[in-house]
Amino acid sequence: MRRMGLPIILATTALVLTGCATMNVSSHMLSGADFTQYRTFEWGPADALPTGDPRLDRDPFFQDHVQGAVERGLAGRGFARVSAGTPDLLIHYHANISRRIDINRLDRDRGYCYDDACGVRTVEREAGTLVLDVIDARTNRLVWRGWAQHSVEDMLRDRDRMEQRINDAVTRMLEQLPTGPAFHQSSAFSAHIGAR
Amino acid sequence: MRPLRFVSILAVAWATLALAGCATMRVGSFVERRTNFTVYRTYAWASDAQLATGDPRLDNNEFFQARLQAAVEKGLSARGLEKAESGQPDFVLHYHASVTQRVDAGGVDDRYGYCEDCSPSVFDAGTPTLDVVDARTNKLAWRGWAESTFDGVVDNQQWLERRIDEAVGRILQTFPVRAGL
Repeated sequence: MRRMGLPIILATTALVLTGCATMNVSSHMLSGADFTQYRTFEWGPADALPTGDPRLDRDPFFQDHVQGAVERGLAGRGFARVSAGTPDLLIHYHANISRRIDINRLDRDRGYCYDDACGVRTVEREAGTLVLDVIDARTNRLVWRGWAQHSVEDMLRDRDRMEQRINDAVTRMLEQLPTGPAFHQSSAFSAHIGAR
Repeated sequence: MRPLRFVSILAVAWATLALAGCATMRVGSFVERRTNFTVYRTYAWASDAQLATGDPRLDNNEFFQARLQAAVEKGLSARGLEKAESGQPDFVLHYHASVTQRVDAGGVDDRYGYCEDCSPSVFDAGTPTLDVVDARTNKLAWRGWAESTFDGVVDNQQWLERRIDEAVGRILQTFPVRAGL
């Protein structure tokens, strides 16, 4: 019991320290949704909602990279993009930046200060959320929504980092998306992709 | 009692308290005076689900909206109220959910001596709100809400669904209408 204490404290501390740098990824799904019936996708009507931040609104670099990452990711999950005809799925994304407050406990946790001397230090950070919606084109109902959240200060100033962050977010989000039937007929599917 | 065991019991007690603290839900409602609720039998939903919630994960989230509506319909049906299939309903339901970041100064814990290291914390407060508008007068007759922490809740669909069901159940407990009474 006593020997367990230190590793647990160290692990918890590591978690707290890295907490603000980790990406939060999760998803919701329509209960009973059957993804084996979906083979193709196309982009739905463009997002009219503002991102909440002028640095990201109508940024073609951001939009191109999100779309590219999503198209690659969906292909990897067994869905093919159609350019003509009716798709099975419509894809839609939304990006949002909101300001959030964190209370800095690092000084206290690291033992830089004690009791009242620590005071309260609040840190404002900008949290970005990328939401990806997958809609059944026939019923026009949402069947899956995934999102990734991360602070955006660094990536707004650095395009390489933005590209890397987008790829990371989309890849991890789509890992939670059920695969299409083509994913399981992988040899036929890779031949199909290769032919494109 | 060995001191080590005492410490572990204390730790468990503290953890229970912390978890219980997170689970508190603050429920409230108000009734417009002189509203005659006894005539209410049928209701309909208003189509204003598109309001921003303050959390991009919940904006236009059909799963969230459907679960909330289903929970309300189940609760109202248990009170003998019916969804109007045609014609004018007695009242119109609006719902809205908002998520805002709150700062907890830790003052209460400090006062009761629950903590030694009473530092402030931040959390996301989620508040589903249900409005009942009288269909004849077009005035708000009743409003109910339930506020609880949404930290970690939205990211877990099952957890969110349970929280919606609980919040709606607690809100409707304060609703003064029961058909046939």
